Amino acid sequence: MSMAQLVETEAAPRRTKRWRGRLLPYLLSLPALLVCIAILVPFVTAAVYSLQRYRLNLPYLRGFIGVDNYIDFLSDPAFWNTLKISLVYTAVTVIAELLLGLGIALLLRRPTRFHNAVSIMLLLPLMTAPAIAALMWKLMTNPSFGILSYLVGLLGVHDFKWASDPSTALFTVVLVDVWVYTPFIMILLLAGLRSLPRQPFEAAALDGVPASFVFFRITLPMLAPYIITASLFRLLDSIQQFDIVYAMTQGGPGDRLMVFQVQAYLEFFQYTNVGRSAALLMILWLITNILSNIFIKNWLRLRARAHGHA
Amino acid sequence: MDHSSLAGRIFRGIALALVLVFFMFPIVWILLMSFQTNEQILRIPPRILFEPTLANYEALISGQLRTAAGNLQIEFMRNLMNSFVLSSASVILALLLGVPAAYAFARFKFRLGETIAFTLLSFRFAPPLLVLLPLSLYYQQLGLNDTYFGIVWVYQLIALPLILWIVRGYFEDISPDIEHAYRLAGHSWREAFTRIAVPLAGPGIAAAGLLSFIFCWNNFVFALILASADKQPVTVGALAFVTASGIQYGQIAAAIVLSVTPTLLLALYAQRYLVEGLSLGAVKG
Amino acid sequence: MARLELKSVGKSFGAVSCARDVSLAVEPGEIVAVFGPSGSGKTVLLRMIAGMFEPDAGDILVGGRSIVDAPPEQRGIGMAFQNFALFPHMSARDNIASGLRASGAADIAAKVAAMSRLLKIEHVLGHRPRELSNGQKQRTALARALIGNPEVLLLDDPLRNVDAKLRYEMRLELPSLLRRSSAAVLYVTQDYREAMAIADRIAVLINGRLVQVARPEEIYARPASVAVARLFGDPSINLSEVAPIAEQGRLTAVVAGTPIRLDADHLPTDTRERCWLGVRPDDVVVTRQGGEGTIPARIVAITPLHERAVVLLRFADGGEWLAALLPEALDAGADEDVFVRFAPEAALLFDHATGERIGVSPRRQAA
Repeated sequence: MSMAQLVETEAAPRRTKRWRGRLLPYLLSLPALLVCIAILVPFVTAAVYSLQRYRLNLPYLRGFIGVDNYIDFLSDPAFWNTLKISLVYTAVTVIAELLLGLGIALLLRRPTRFHNAVSIMLLLPLMTAPAIAALMWKLMTNPSFGILSYLVGLLGVHDFKWASDPSTALFTVVLVDVWVYTPFIMILLLAGLRSLPRQPFEAAALDGVPASFVFFRITLPMLAPYIITASLFRLLDSIQQFDIVYAMTQGGPGDRLMVFQVQAYLEFFQYTNVGRSAALLMILWLITNILSNIFIKNWLRLRARAHGHA
Repeated sequence: MDHSSLAGRIFRGIALALVLVFFMFPIVWILLMSFQTNEQILRIPPRILFEPTLANYEALISGQLRTAAGNLQIEFMRNLMNSFVLSSASVILALLLGVPAAYAFARFKFRLGETIAFTLLSFRFAPPLLVLLPLSLYYQQLGLNDTYFGIVWVYQLIALPLILWIVRGYFEDISPDIEHAYRLAGHSWREAFTRIAVPLAGPGIAAAGLLSFIFCWNNFVFALILASADKQPVTVGALAFVTASGIQYGQIAAAIVLSVTPTLLLALYAQRYLVEGLSLGAVKG
Repeated sequence: MARLELKSVGKSFGAVSCARDVSLAVEPGEIVAVFGPSGSGKTVLLRMIAGMFEPDAGDILVGGRSIVDAPPEQRGIGMAFQNFALFPHMSARDNIASGLRASGAADIAAKVAAMSRLLKIEHVLGHRPRELSNGQKQRTALARALIGNPEVLLLDDPLRNVDAKLRYEMRLELPSLLRRSSAAVLYVTQDYREAMAIADRIAVLINGRLVQVARPEEIYARPASVAVARLFGDPSINLSEVAPIAEQGRLTAVVAGTPIRLDADHLPTDTRERCWLGVRPDDVVVTRQGGEGTIPARIVAITPLHERAVVLLRFADGGEWLAALLPEALDAGADEDVFVRFAPEAALLFDHATGERIGVSPRRQAA
């Protein structure tokens, strides 16, 4: 055997071994990659649909129409209604949940056994399926026997129609959203509050700094990353709210609660207009994508801090 | 911290009481309703004290509902079973797929890994219908519509990002040297993975698994679009049930109680990990 | 037992080069300390040998066989980590026994008992790592590395995270412990004293390059370069810029205005334009008596360090030296004028441009 051959035979297994070692991470993440592709394919499909005239009941009319679906929205009051309702719904729920969640977190700040028990109990609404939660509130707001209808009756408000009255439907659905999701903000902020360093608060207490100053100048700024992350989490979920609205009113009464996803769902299944439905969802995706880019930056920072490699 | 005045303490006490009433009352009230007959429910004013009945639960379990129009057969228990099957299968699949991937993302810094991790994360916040509606058309072509497998597969959209990001954080918290030491002691990477990394990330894997189970169970929109009656989980089933049973409010309440009990019990059991799970590992409780 | 051999090993991460053309052989039963400032690539070198990193260039051999393609578990290497890296979910006993179990060895219990007796940790074998003190953790980690009688033993700064008293004890204990195993030992440390106390030879690594490999006393006495000279010794070596002139085969250099004869076997004999003159503070003598070959100086300050008095001296030209003396050898106080001298044998000359030592190495002298 010549020298060259010897080198060949030795080098070959060496290369395959190294190659296999480098392949390992890719092999391990292959299934996750498949799931990714399974998401991306329908996503691209949806983007293509949004550029088509595509009605399930009129398959022969299907064809590429560019951005016509989007342009149609500009002159469509139903679209502007959807946008307005979605934004109002998001703003109201996030602000209400943030204020309430922060308030509760402050109440429960000291880690006593009672406070911990309360915070665990508050997890229960959050762990209730939102669609089921909507049904629970539907039972409680039933005009004929609902306990809440009875209670507002005692307060002198009769014929309060809750979700079936256009003027109070938004309020009712927001109430359910607040019931389900306030605990989410509460537990994140509570964990944040309890993880804050003590020294600034002790120093402020020693100096006799007034409580309002401590809250606005120390607590809030230090809690800011938690508040931002929790609010963005909620903002992203809230603008896409489907379960509660659909289970409670299916977008009604009338088009009073036609939020994005409910509208898109109805466009698809009721009016079988796939193109319009997809265009609507692409617009929603654009909004959430901008928000989630901001969110992920913040969240990564918090995560690095939590895992001690900041 | 606690130099609060008497007035302050009274205020805090009242505020906490109101908070507890607002958040606990619906659960307690629905629980009470589920033990009442329709007549008791419709009584005005409502009473706290009543003679409890198990009739609603019996009707649900037997699947024979008495309505004004006569007996109606509704297999709510089947919905419950579907929820168990779908959620458990989804979590098991997501753990099998997600834990090795989370390990790869934590241990090997490679671009494809980061891309996958962030794609899954960003689609966690994308509108689910955007993926679901085209998928339902594909499913019809592939014959996956209304199959357990098809639903379990889309549930990966819920469970996988959760498991990937939470478990990844736990793997990152384990010093790689511990695994190196185990390998130098004569073990393959597979043994180091199963006997060192997985046991040490155990709490994180358990938390991510429990939380995924809860989220799969609570999901509504996926099954609404992809499943018909005999594959539907409780969330969709309960809504159909309300429509079908009409004014049998006691039975509706009992169905609600049965639907939420498993997740609420799991949540109480796993409450230590929920903070971390809900924030995808960004906040430690 | 087998010899460990590194042949022109190279490794870089992106633009950062961690190992450049590193060649080193460690005989069975020999302890070689890899010493260098932090970030010099010591740990990366160990990790390449252990199989956690793959070298970009060169080869690593154990007993003449290349191991670069073998996975870590097949390399026959024992390693102790700086952070101990104990398995947190196993008892100390299971930690120590893990390697024996993997190889299916016999008499595991007896071997663990013997090893733990040797390392004085029998009483904590049932404990989990978090119940152990740092010292016990470190001994457990050593026991785990030693127990399989590995051909190569790698110790990554094992005394870094233990307290000073224990570190001192272990410095005394370790050499005999390591030599019992007759493995080829590479011992990484950032502490030159530790390297000198433990190792048969020291390999000095600076910026990924081995700049000197020699016995401890040789490195101390004849460092290969200014950089090596600075790393060994506390307080570190005094350096003055000089231009030595050869006269009748003798070298004379002007230090702080005073001509000093540099007449020793290890020093060069030819005129140089610019050199660094290095004298260790230990070799500086401070007296009240002036005379030929003494440099006038003033004592600026005196600080105690390791039972010695460190004296900061200032020459007339503003240059400063340190002298480390036994306190009783110093009969002057701060702000007093004194004279400084040193034996020519203690002087070192380094090239001004390259930093390399000029002159004859003791080994070449002998030859």
